[in-house]
Amino acid sequence: MPLETESKVRLRALVAEFRPNNGDLLAALHRVQHEFGYLSAEAMEVIGDQLGLFPAHVYGAASYYEEFRFEPQAHTNIRWCSGPACRLRNGNGIRDALLASLGIGHMNGQTEDGRVGVILGQCNGACEVAPMVWLEQHETHMIEPVGNMSAARAVRMARALRDGATIEEATNA
Amino acid sequence: MPDALALYDALRANADAAYAAWRNPERPRIDVAIDQSSISNGALRTRAAIERVVAGRNAAVDLGRVHGYGIQWLHPLVQVTFPDGATVLYGPVTPADAEAIVDEASGRWGAAESLRIGTVTGARDGVPSLRDHPFFALEPRERRLLRNLGLTDPESLEHYIARDGYRASARMLGRHSTEDQIRTVMNDAGLTGRGGANFPTGVKWNFLFGAAGEDHYLVCNADEGDPGAWVNRVVMEGDPHLLIEGMLIGAFGTRSKQGYIYLRDEYPLAIARMEQAIAQAEAAGLLGEDILGTGLTFRLRVIRGAGAYVCGEETGLLSSIQDSRGMPRVKPPFPAQRGVFDKPSNVNNVESYANAPLILLHGSDWYRQYGTERATGTKIFSFSGDIARVGFMELPFGVPLAKVLEVCGGMVGGELKAIQSGGPLGSLLPPQSLPKLILQGDSFSPWDAIMGGGGIVFCNDQTSVLVLAEMFAAFVEEESCGRCTTCHGGNQRQTEILRRIIDGRGRREDEPNLKLIDRTLQFSNCVHGQFSPKITRNLLQHFHADYEAALRGEDPSLTMAGLYRVVVTNQYDPALAEAVAICPVAAFRGPAGNRSVDDAACIRCGACIDVAPKAVGKQAKARTVALN
Repeated sequence: MPLETESKVRLRALVAEFRPNNGDLLAALHRVQHEFGYLSAEAMEVIGDQLGLFPAHVYGAASYYEEFRFEPQAHTNIRWCSGPACRLRNGNGIRDALLASLGIGHMNGQTEDGRVGVILGQCNGACEVAPMVWLEQHETHMIEPVGNMSAARAVRMARALRDGATIEEATNA
Repeated sequence: MPDALALYDALRANADAAYAAWRNPERPRIDVAIDQSSISNGALRTRAAIERVVAGRNAAVDLGRVHGYGIQWLHPLVQVTFPDGATVLYGPVTPADAEAIVDEASGRWGAAESLRIGTVTGARDGVPSLRDHPFFALEPRERRLLRNLGLTDPESLEHYIARDGYRASARMLGRHSTEDQIRTVMNDAGLTGRGGANFPTGVKWNFLFGAAGEDHYLVCNADEGDPGAWVNRVVMEGDPHLLIEGMLIGAFGTRSKQGYIYLRDEYPLAIARMEQAIAQAEAAGLLGEDILGTGLTFRLRVIRGAGAYVCGEETGLLSSIQDSRGMPRVKPPFPAQRGVFDKPSNVNNVESYANAPLILLHGSDWYRQYGTERATGTKIFSFSGDIARVGFMELPFGVPLAKVLEVCGGMVGGELKAIQSGGPLGSLLPPQSLPKLILQGDSFSPWDAIMGGGGIVFCNDQTSVLVLAEMFAAFVEEESCGRCTTCHGGNQRQTEILRRIIDGRGRREDEPNLKLIDRTLQFSNCVHGQFSPKITRNLLQHFHADYEAALRGEDPSLTMAGLYRVVVTNQYDPALAEAVAICPVAAFRGPAGNRSVDDAACIRCGACIDVAPKAVGKQAKARTVALN
């Protein structure tokens, strides 16, 4: 019987360069999430070992931040921009249209088949294309900003993704 | 021991040669502006299209990269630099325009005439200078903080050096200035914190310089979280070495050996460019150990945040750096007493540091040429919302905000209803404040408002101010760290009350309760809690008539969910079928010719109105419960 699971061995290798008391926790969490798409309980343990922290401390810190996930993510995430310029142009309607079209009850949820999720995004200052969303795929690390959204376009985009469209197809839906 | 200045001169000689070759290229060069906004406008697709055309024709042009200028509504931007050094800017350039751009660059002058915006440098017949564009009318003719945008490749250390970069710090390191002189010149310039608090930067540096012990830490707050503000992003994506040099000067003036740039996760390009610039500076001997042969050390590192607004509060930020939840704590002790890893630390905003190289190079009198007595120098601002021209500018303090709105092309889609400044912890100003506001913090004070870090959003009358207030209330509720009950409990109540009013179920006691929450929140430990009721307070102060109307159940903007319904306005419009099909909740009832919308099922997303604006519309709806 192997002493460690395969994923644990991978995790250890990923965080091997990080040191205790060196401000490395966020970097370690980012590294693991980039690779796995989310942070598992196992990851808390391995990162804690590496940085001399209890897993509870690692989880406590990680769970403070919006960007860390603790469950496998949807194949494609629609990141909805919550910034003011977007809200002035029916941002709320776009959010509600996305959630309703996908049958997702709340932000940061996903469809039952795990194909599409809707997550919260923050303003990054491309407000000339407001309202906007980003389509993101963890597997390929692809991020596609889509500006000049409307609620109708949100419905078409969500339905296309739900039905298996690629990001490119969904953008043009 | 090698002299710091001699080492710098050697770097400079190489840089000058490289930059001269870039400015006056042997054959035309097409630069695509690559920054976060450009990317959102499809700049990567434009670049790929140009690359394809160039490769397909084997055209005698080169390709390069710049950062945008601030005219974001014209993104994606492309510029062509000709062998005589003239640079012409084009936009918006879509992939379909790639042929025309390559034509124009390779000698068919006129092919891209309709896309021309202006000349960046040099002259071309019939092309105006970019600086004469009305958007820049309020900027100094010579930009300062933004001086390198469009004139350098933001990923090139050589370009930065050739434009006088690291010159001031090389002189400093060569012991042409003392630590005291560094801090004095910042104080003489009147440089204050650009994050919004306006505390004098030199005084902060004095605190750290005078702090006990050897290990001093210098921290840059690049957690620019205010939605609608992207001032720091522009500096980091457009001229990353300016921030590094500013921190190097701060490190020298405060005897700091280690620095951190705490950079928000939402700025991936800024993270990449800052990390690359740090590596370049280290390789050139301008950063790290034994800087320019002086034996001095300053190590600098980017810490990537993970989406927590309150990490923009300095103690929250420090806590986040040292492996913990980014929760603000009570001050004192102040960071200069106990900061990162309990060592004396200083936290400044990106823009505060970015000013330091310019002040050191040109002196405090030069710096004070712009601005006012109480707010010296220039500042970068980002303007967005319902305006014709969204973008950023570098403006002297004191510029009238009404003029800013003018150069932004005025309001679109409706009349000015509110001005939002300072982010979610900031302010909501009424239209009548516009003629009196100037870009200087204290001009906002009479309105119980703050100017903040530089993001200003103009809102038209198509959105209810209550909906705006709820949006910011929900933001600060979500981002409360949870330490103070006043803040996490108070903000939940504030948000719930506003939501209920928007739902058409406001009560008479909501106003006194909102005021009670406001008073209570003042006892929170950090500015997040203390400032979180400000926008709702502004709502009651400056928009009381809108508030009262909402309680009565009236909302002229038809954006408060409980005070309007969606109705079919034309049964015979052919687009109505499309409206029925697009509805994500199947809220349409009845056969064709007798359609209606089930109000209980409708989620008011507006998709049907998007596709059939003449067949479906909004209709005011009275409140369903009596006001008491």
